[in-house]
Amino acid sequence: MKATLEVINAMQKDGIIGKYATGGAVGATYYLEPSATLDIDIFVALKTPPGAPLLMRTPIYDYLTSRGHRSEKEYLVIEGWPVQFLPPGNALEEEALEQAVETEVEGTRTWVITAEHLAAIALKTGRAKDFARLLEFVEAGVLDAHKLNSILERHGLIEKWEQFEAKFLRGRP
Amino acid sequence: MTECMRRVLESKRATRRRLQALPFAEKLKLLEKLRERSLFIARSELRTRQGR
Repeated sequence: MKATLEVINAMQKDGIIGKYATGGAVGATYYLEPSATLDIDIFVALKTPPGAPLLMRTPIYDYLTSRGHRSEKEYLVIEGWPVQFLPPGNALEEEALEQAVETEVEGTRTWVITAEHLAAIALKTGRAKDFARLLEFVEAGVLDAHKLNSILERHGLIEKWEQFEAKFLRGRP
Repeated sequence: MTECMRRVLESKRATRRRLQALPFAEKLKLLEKLRERSLFIARSELRTRQGR
């Protein structure tokens, strides 16, 4: 994984991508116990002019394949890990990328989406596995209620949260 | 809930707390092991046969 992050950092240094941050199960692992996953979700700011049509993952693809990394379905396999590069698809994901926290893995600098943004994204995405992850966040006690609430308010997710609360958190202390 | 079950659940919670508190780099190493295990299971003969 460290080797994968080093390649992504090199891609950033070479100007192929802007800021990036790990989300999904790997991002959640920063805050929770590790849980099995087969891929890495990287939210990434792409260095293309706004409105550029041929969105824009082509430079990433070209950069990586020219250095011997292969593509596999929607992934690029970097140092053994399938990586999916995800440009932010909405204001919530843009904010999540913007406010990602810096950390390091054995001396390699990297960024991870905040726990509150990961929780909000899971709530918005709303698949069974997203709710399961959201419950893990709640049970682990790693969410800052004030921060989460302001994210939910800003992105119109209060009602969804109330539904989630009624369904999964009713009767909890 | 029986006393035995209460102990099992508490032990499970303690393990989760311990794993949660590990440094990120160590957690990522565990993720790699979990992934290898998942891939091994996915490739296993039994799984392959069931998929036919």
